[in-house]
Amino acid sequence: MADNHDGGDTSLPDLGDAIDSVTFGQILEMDDSEDDREFSKSIVFGFFEQAEETFEKMDEALKGKNLEELSRLGHFLKGSSATLGLTKVKDSCEKIQRYGKKENEDGSPETDEALCLSRIKDTLKTVKAEYTEAETALKTFFGP
Amino acid sequence: MPPESDMAVAQGGSNNSSDFVRKLYKMLEDPAYSEVVRWGNEGDSFVVLENEKFTKTILPKHFKHSNFASFVRQLNKYDFHKVRQNEENGQSPYGHGAWEFKHPEFRADAKNSLDNIRRKAPAPRKAQAPEENYGSNTQVQAMSESLAATQQQVQALQDSYFEMAHANKVFVDEILHLQKLVKSQTQVHEQLLTYLNKVETDRRHGRSSSNHSNHSTPAAYGTGNLMSDGTEEPSVELRRVRELLNSIQGEHIPEKDLRQMSIQFQQIGASPESAGSSSMMGPPNSASINNQFIHDPMNDMRHMVYPVGQTIGIDPFAAEHLGNIPYNRPLSQNAIGPVNDSAGPTMPSVSPPVGGTQGGSPWGLKKPRILLVEDDKTCSRIGSKFLAQYDCGVEVARDGLEAVNKVNTNPNWFDLIFMDIVMPQLDGVSATAMILDAQPRIPIIAMTSNINQQDLEMYFHWGMRDVLAKPFTKDGMIKKLQKHLPGFLRNPPADAVAETMYQNGAPPGQPPTPGPYVNPGPMSLPIPAASTGVAKFDTTPVQSPATSTSWHSPGQIPQQSPNLAHDQAYLNAGSGQVMSLTPGGTQRPFPGSMMPAMGGPPGSRMAESVSASEGPPEKRQRFTYAQ
Repeated sequence: MADNHDGGDTSLPDLGDAIDSVTFGQILEMDDSEDDREFSKSIVFGFFEQAEETFEKMDEALKGKNLEELSRLGHFLKGSSATLGLTKVKDSCEKIQRYGKKENEDGSPETDEALCLSRIKDTLKTVKAEYTEAETALKTFFGP
Repeated sequence: MPPESDMAVAQGGSNNSSDFVRKLYKMLEDPAYSEVVRWGNEGDSFVVLENEKFTKTILPKHFKHSNFASFVRQLNKYDFHKVRQNEENGQSPYGHGAWEFKHPEFRADAKNSLDNIRRKAPAPRKAQAPEENYGSNTQVQAMSESLAATQQQVQALQDSYFEMAHANKVFVDEILHLQKLVKSQTQVHEQLLTYLNKVETDRRHGRSSSNHSNHSTPAAYGTGNLMSDGTEEPSVELRRVRELLNSIQGEHIPEKDLRQMSIQFQQIGASPESAGSSSMMGPPNSASINNQFIHDPMNDMRHMVYPVGQTIGIDPFAAEHLGNIPYNRPLSQNAIGPVNDSAGPTMPSVSPPVGGTQGGSPWGLKKPRILLVEDDKTCSRIGSKFLAQYDCGVEVARDGLEAVNKVNTNPNWFDLIFMDIVMPQLDGVSATAMILDAQPRIPIIAMTSNINQQDLEMYFHWGMRDVLAKPFTKDGMIKKLQKHLPGFLRNPPADAVAETMYQNGAPPGQPPTPGPYVNPGPMSLPIPAASTGVAKFDTTPVQSPATSTSWHSPGQIPQQSPNLAHDQAYLNAGSGQVMSLTPGGTQRPFPGSMMPAMGGPPGSRMAESVSASEGPPEKRQRFTYAQ
């Protein structure tokens, strides 16, 4: 349908597997001009700020062993990363959200808070790396 | 044709031989022409070597015209044939551009056989030419007639389509009115019951001092409290009843339309054949229907077609035309909203608009105004961009509280709300409950990635109409718009108008979300009166719209329960009171299908669950005091 209108699948940039090109493509499609990509660029760079802030908050919450806050932050970043097509980041955020809710990855309850925290710690490391990968790809795409 | 009639030029000799052939033979005898036209090498054909010179000089001299084509035609009539050049040689032996004609009897050495050259069947020939013309003329005529007839037919269909849409609208209005009426009546009953209860309690109170003995029966649940401070005004309920009944009067508009329609239908029935012959292939009644429906914008439809006719040259059904059809769109917005909206292109409801992005707005006369409630900046910007590109008015609220404020400051401004669930300050579910109190009919669509069964049940329980799974796509969003704002579409789907009847529940028969949401469980929650139509009103088995059992555990609700403002509780109490007639407050005394379908206030659903289990005691208290 609308996917093929102007942004067209064929003209979608290959941003590697860090970013889902269909999801990201529909944001690129919203650009009035493919030259400056004003809209998508501002969205993406806004997301960078958002993500970095969230990571900082996550670090702090981790220090404070605040699982609830970690879950909330995970949920928050999950939404925007999913909307941009940053699939890996989204998946990791979802994990953080679950661990923060004292759940296992499959949603079953997990009583061991220390385990949850350590899982979050690991996942946070992963998600940061995944984020950096996506960020690099996106920055390359949009140029300096 | 001059050459033949030129008998005077004819030489002596056989009268049988054709004048034309003789002239031809004579012409070829003249050696002066040998450079231009001469006998062929074998003497069994003749060759026009220089076409131009032949046409200009020789033809006028011998045949009194200078038209090579008609000379050739003449030859053909006498069964001369042009000699095709041998493909092996590639070139004519007489040079390029030479015309060689041949007739078996036309030979340089056989002047006598000229008599054998006759016109080919001259008589039918003569008749044939005009007949050919005549044939194609009639064909064109027949075609244009059938085209006109088809146009007429399409037009008639169009007209009757709009009439039906109009009728549908009237019916819906009527149904809505009746629903309102039923609701008011219900309220009247409540008030009367309350009053009677009070009288009864007063009586018992006078007889014995055990006024609290009634507390065991829910019917007295509310009144027991009221009694102590309500006694000084015993007729307050009766007064309210009167007010309610009064308010029902005088606001009924559809009735007039309905009566008019019934008259029109009777007229049609009385003279079914009257206009039948006027349109060749049209349905016999169409013309009379057209005339009898007085609605202007509809009758004007005939002028809003393609420049010449609806189907000439353009396929009006082709999607790419829908956006830029040279219609005069009706300017008047009067009367029927949704039907007028549909007064756009021919009959495109056959294929509902898909993208909407291709040329022109997908909406009719009024663009919908969407409130996007989303705390995440990225999502809200993308979402509002999607909506704006789909030609919607968009406003963004960053949390539930802002959303509630926006709706409260400008009630009925928004036509649809996309609502995130997890938000700071006030979550989406609570905001939904509060907004629905102020604007019960607005479709609110949850936007969330939490779409497990329990979450979905909760969303619907609190009056959300649908769920848009996150991450949302543009298509996903647009589909929700098309589904929940069918009346706004320029080309509404056929069942669009009818669907507005179900505005307070999930639309019939469709699972709220595609994909991960497989279990149809919650679907039956908001609206047991499922599928297709009005008939369901009395056929649906009684079923509690909200099974309170699933709400016993407050733990199932991750969000805080909606804050009931005092006055909201008051409003709810109107319909809520009914529930207290049955123990537990979960069953309604009338078929469950009625309430949601008739626009049963979601507030009542809220009140219900508050009284059912999870509501804090003081709220229940307030609720009962609110009488």
